Amino acid sequence: MTSMKIYADKLLMTVSGLLFLMTASAQVEFGPISGDAELGKTSYYDYGCYGCHGFGGIGRKNLANDVSGIMFREDIFLTYLRGRSELNPLFPTQSMPNYPADSLSDADALDIYAYIRTFKDDPPDVEDIPALKAILDGAKAQ
Amino acid sequence: MTKKTDQEQGGINRREFLGTSAAAGAASILPTRSEAAPQAAAPSNGVPLSLPPTDEQMARELGDTLPPSTMRAAQRPGSDLIVQVLRDLEIEFVASNPGSSFEGLQESLINYGEIPNVMPEFISAMHEESAVDMAHGYGKSEGRPICALVQGTIGLQHSAMAIYQAYHGRAPMVILVGRDDKHFLQAHTADDVAGIVRSFTKWDAHPETLAEALPAIQEAYRQAVTPPCAPTVVILDTEVQKEEAGDIQVPVYVPPVIPTITEQQADEIAAGLMGAAKPRLSVGRFRTPEGIKRSVELAELVGASVETKSQVGPMSFPQSHPLVGPDADDESDYVFGLEASGAHAALHGPHLRTLTERDLTSINFGGIRPPVRPRRDAPGQNDLTADAEASLPLLISAVKRRANSESRKTVVLRTRHHTDANHAARLTAIEAALEKTREGWNASPVSTARIYAELWPLIKDLDWCIGGPSRFSSSHHMQLWDHDKPYSYLGGHPAAALGYGLGAATGAALAARERGRIVINVQTDGDFNYTPGALWTAAHHRLPMLTIMHNNRAWHMELMYVQYMAGVRGRGTDRAHIGTTLRDPYIDYAKLAEGYGVKAEGPIEDPTKLAAALARGVDAVRNGEPYLIDVITQPR
Repeated sequence: MTSMKIYADKLLMTVSGLLFLMTASAQVEFGPISGDAELGKTSYYDYGCYGCHGFGGIGRKNLANDVSGIMFREDIFLTYLRGRSELNPLFPTQSMPNYPADSLSDADALDIYAYIRTFKDDPPDVEDIPALKAILDGAKAQ
Repeated sequence: MTKKTDQEQGGINRREFLGTSAAAGAASILPTRSEAAPQAAAPSNGVPLSLPPTDEQMARELGDTLPPSTMRAAQRPGSDLIVQVLRDLEIEFVASNPGSSFEGLQESLINYGEIPNVMPEFISAMHEESAVDMAHGYGKSEGRPICALVQGTIGLQHSAMAIYQAYHGRAPMVILVGRDDKHFLQAHTADDVAGIVRSFTKWDAHPETLAEALPAIQEAYRQAVTPPCAPTVVILDTEVQKEEAGDIQVPVYVPPVIPTITEQQADEIAAGLMGAAKPRLSVGRFRTPEGIKRSVELAELVGASVETKSQVGPMSFPQSHPLVGPDADDESDYVFGLEASGAHAALHGPHLRTLTERDLTSINFGGIRPPVRPRRDAPGQNDLTADAEASLPLLISAVKRRANSESRKTVVLRTRHHTDANHAARLTAIEAALEKTREGWNASPVSTARIYAELWPLIKDLDWCIGGPSRFSSSHHMQLWDHDKPYSYLGGHPAAALGYGLGAATGAALAARERGRIVINVQTDGDFNYTPGALWTAAHHRLPMLTIMHNNRAWHMELMYVQYMAGVRGRGTDRAHIGTTLRDPYIDYAKLAEGYGVKAEGPIEDPTKLAAALARGVDAVRNGEPYLIDVITQPR
């Protein structure tokens, strides 16, 4: 294993650990947005982000309501997108695709960031959704 | 055996024919073969070539000419007796796309008997793959076979993928194949037609005469329902179908004798269950509903906690039974598996692997040598290869023999404990699932969870069956619904191959139509487009099937795979939609369904319109009509 590879792995582990801690933190202040959310909407779908994160950030990996530490700041978001592709291209270790700069420009990535930050999900409580309440009441009655 | 030779009938033995054909060309034997054909019939390295049809043959195939005037009008057609065999076996349906190699049998199916076209009823399929998928869905739903009837080499090849899927799905079915041994198109026939699918069927036969054909069909049925259950094949020559039956009688069907454990083994397991402080049953998939009844009796006799697979497939223990749930204390001291692995003992019927000797060409479908995957569940201390369902009466008797006043009190206490603990666990699981389900509740496109959640209050008091796979729509029913019937959920794609869902749900709906049941099919768009013609079958036969399109406008799994690969290679993730999406133009499934005669609505993108549409759909299928709702959904 080369020293560069060791460095890359350590850096990724550090970033991942930082992101985890931030995600776990109850009170975090999210950074500013420089991209264009409207343009980001197009890129979000063109680059297939919706595939896992759903239309509007509700999917197998939710993004709505600022739940992801990766979204804490633009630079962290970019680092996450680039990290595995530029530092560890041959051994992608996570399920998310790599997004190197020659595949997704910084400008496009920041537009996507801006669009994701617009995702809000404020569903009614279970008790206020008739279908869900019926399921819950049925389970209680069994 | 009183074999009536083809020569005696003024014809030619089919095997002799092919040999003759290969050796000298067929023109001098078949009156319908043109003089232009013989050169093409010359063998190539000993292998007969497939001939293009002559003008006469094509005219016959296209229906421009009637069958030859030499055709005999039998007083008692052989195919009538074939239908009688199917009737005696209580085969409810024969699903088929018509073909010119079984017109004799088809005529008998629709005309023979005092009440023709009943038991079996001829079901019109638009494609042989659909016909076999219907048999697959029915077989899983009822635990017994119906027939698919397909045409020679061509129909069997059309159906091959569905047979492969049914083989991996352990679905019992009998596939009847018409083989035109007179006046044929060479491309439609072969010496060994069943060889096309032999590697993934359990048993096949090519009877020479009617007298052989009748017991062959009975044996095909017997083999199909004997574990490991799987598709079987009988090749029926046109002349066998048209043969004058004379005084041939339908033989009496003898059911299979299915191997069980011994009484001693049953007693040892009973001792384990009765002697344990906290026994537990792990229940997999039985062959028939009878296995479920017996397993419920065993569980209640012992007061064991139970793990079921009813959320993931058919024929397992009812999920809402009070004994079902997580092991309350996680301290079971005797775990017994019924068609599932158990820590201390388990019964498994013979696996499909026991049939590998039929893979004569060593293709080894479904695996490669050496095995690359370890068994998911490590074998227990006492795994026995014996059918669990057939063995349960012995076990129940052994448990009853050991029961006494003290053990009965223990069972009461155990049952009370499990009932309370399982109810609490179920409630906790439901609450967690509902919290997850409400995420994106008002999102557009519609969340797949909302489809299942909105459906449940509408159907929970009905007799329902989920006929098609649900994995791609995230299987939310597993968390939100109660799976208490043998057919509550028929499971996923057994060979992980698309094109199965709509046909299988249609087959389940055939069973449902006769039993006051409805079928729900949350249908992925990619899978739908393989055999959409099954919708016409549902309309034509008035099948109670509610199809809800999980329309994410993609072969979405492949989209993600290609996207990932592009990312790994650092290029073009914005082009992953090429070849993986169903865009430009979008498909209008409601219009498509209406074209097939199925009432439909959609596309629905506004989630607030979903519940009313589902209610209309449920009303329609309760009235015996298929219905389709196109819902534009989240990807998963």
